[in-house]
Amino acid sequence: MPMVTLEKIARLAQESRFDSLGPAVDVDPEKLSSLGEGTRYDVCASTHSPRNPNLPGICHSFSHDGRCVSLFKTLYTNYCSHQCNYCTNAANCSRRTATFSYTPQELVGITLSMYRANYIEGLFLSSGSGRNEDHIMERMLETARMLRQKHEFQGYIHLKVLPGASRSHIQEAMELADRVSINLEAASASHMSEMSSTKNYESDILQRQRYIRDLATSENLPAGQTTQLVVGASNECDEEIFKRVLYEYKEIGVRRVYYSAFSPQDGTPFQNNVPQPKWREVRLYQMDWLFRVYHLHPQEIWHAFDENGLLPNADPKMTIARELVDLPVDPNTAPYRELLMVPGIGPRSAKRIIALRKRQAISRKADLASLGVRIKRAAPFLKIGGWRDATLQMWSA
Amino acid sequence: MRIPDDFLHYLSAHEDCSERLLFRAKDISAEELDVSIDAEAKRIRKMVRQVQTEVHRMEAFVRLRPLGPCVLYGYLKPRHRIGEIICDFFARRNPQTIVVLGNGHESWISFNYGGEILRKRGAKMAETLEQLKSSFNCSEEGRDVKDIWQAYYDSQYSPCHKSAKSSHKRMPRRDQKAAGLRMVQNKSIVTLDDF
Repeated sequence: MPMVTLEKIARLAQESRFDSLGPAVDVDPEKLSSLGEGTRYDVCASTHSPRNPNLPGICHSFSHDGRCVSLFKTLYTNYCSHQCNYCTNAANCSRRTATFSYTPQELVGITLSMYRANYIEGLFLSSGSGRNEDHIMERMLETARMLRQKHEFQGYIHLKVLPGASRSHIQEAMELADRVSINLEAASASHMSEMSSTKNYESDILQRQRYIRDLATSENLPAGQTTQLVVGASNECDEEIFKRVLYEYKEIGVRRVYYSAFSPQDGTPFQNNVPQPKWREVRLYQMDWLFRVYHLHPQEIWHAFDENGLLPNADPKMTIARELVDLPVDPNTAPYRELLMVPGIGPRSAKRIIALRKRQAISRKADLASLGVRIKRAAPFLKIGGWRDATLQMWSA
Repeated sequence: MRIPDDFLHYLSAHEDCSERLLFRAKDISAEELDVSIDAEAKRIRKMVRQVQTEVHRMEAFVRLRPLGPCVLYGYLKPRHRIGEIICDFFARRNPQTIVVLGNGHESWISFNYGGEILRKRGAKMAETLEQLKSSFNCSEEGRDVKDIWQAYYDSQYSPCHKSAKSSHKRMPRRDQKAAGLRMVQNKSIVTLDDF
């Protein structure tokens, strides 16, 4: 391990003459907050990027709503010519605020200085469509190009692809960014037509997603593409959402789908629509998790929906287990798939159970607990040492 | 969180790690440790995770400020012996820049010189910074981005989803203190004078 004197380190640093101050930043706070607010409902849960070397996912701060703030998440401009009935930046919103725009230089300055100070992992850049979508997309790309090429920025970049973006712009975005995304917003074309009169579901959204799928190589876009839905803005049911999500994972190959519960904004045509409870978002994430991480079959997940095609406010895995787990599961003999069906046992603890039982029999609940099993939830479904806990809770609806 | 192959590195940094425990841990593989239900192995696993967690939180919460054009410095007072790990992390992230972390008792200096990390342990932070100031012949404090950050951070909060509980859970007061952050406003509170 090289231990050197401080003088020597100082001399070497002076020789390399790197300017740790970065370019000067002087930004109007009102612009920062207006354009920042524009991305408030855009979710980006992880900044992990599987490039070489791996970029770790780090959450630098959490907002008072418990969500992680680890990217400089902003709009390029809040001027937009689309007419989306839920959005405050839409052309048909009666309470449109002042319009602001960044320049690529400003965005680069802010991103670099906050990155060096370790407030953020990188940049998440979205935008209104401006007067000309192509022009805005070009400016967004210029921002990413300056960061990567001129300043050799190694942090994370997530670029939103605007609905009308050209194939060549999409391709360049994929060369520069870790991740790109296009928001689906609605679960189907008919729901989209209720939500927006200017966006075409098939050509503006699905077609661009297919471009991304087809242009992806092992060299570009390490963190893949993602998408996001506004939940409950047009009375769609969870089953419709699930069908769309299955399509997205299987046909488009998105890495993740994000869900954002609709909340009505003053001045928009949807201002009197019912706000959606936060729990609906949570249940959809759980459904998503069962498919994407647990690899449950859609036929199994289907049991979680009620007769109206909605997810009730209860853990979907528990609902599914009540339907499908008939006999108590013995952790010493059950195959992986059966262990995974038990509430309180996840993929990792199921694998640990299998690794441990090769060496010794599992005879105590406490042993399962130390492998990460949530015993309170799991016990009613398990048979340990020949006995099982039967509880009323298991039979209650 | 999976147990990493180099878990001994983390275990040895734990504030309560004894020579004896380290010696015992040498015979256990990472895979074994991950699933073992033996009492001592469980204790080792817990300690490794505690250190991993603190490393992760410090990499996330420590804020850096420029001192002249060649130096970034920040406050760090961890429970476990991880100063060097954190300092190296920031040096790798900021090539060609001297990274200094520390508190009123000790400091760590790392410098990424063409891929190789040069290190130095220092006495209390104030002294180290004084030395660097005189080496570089500079006293200017760099621009601070905390106002920009604050304006941006405030814009991200959606009041309809307020959940102080989950925000507290993810930014425990103890870890914030170790990194020099203040809970309520979530700003960096440390200035040069604090050293």
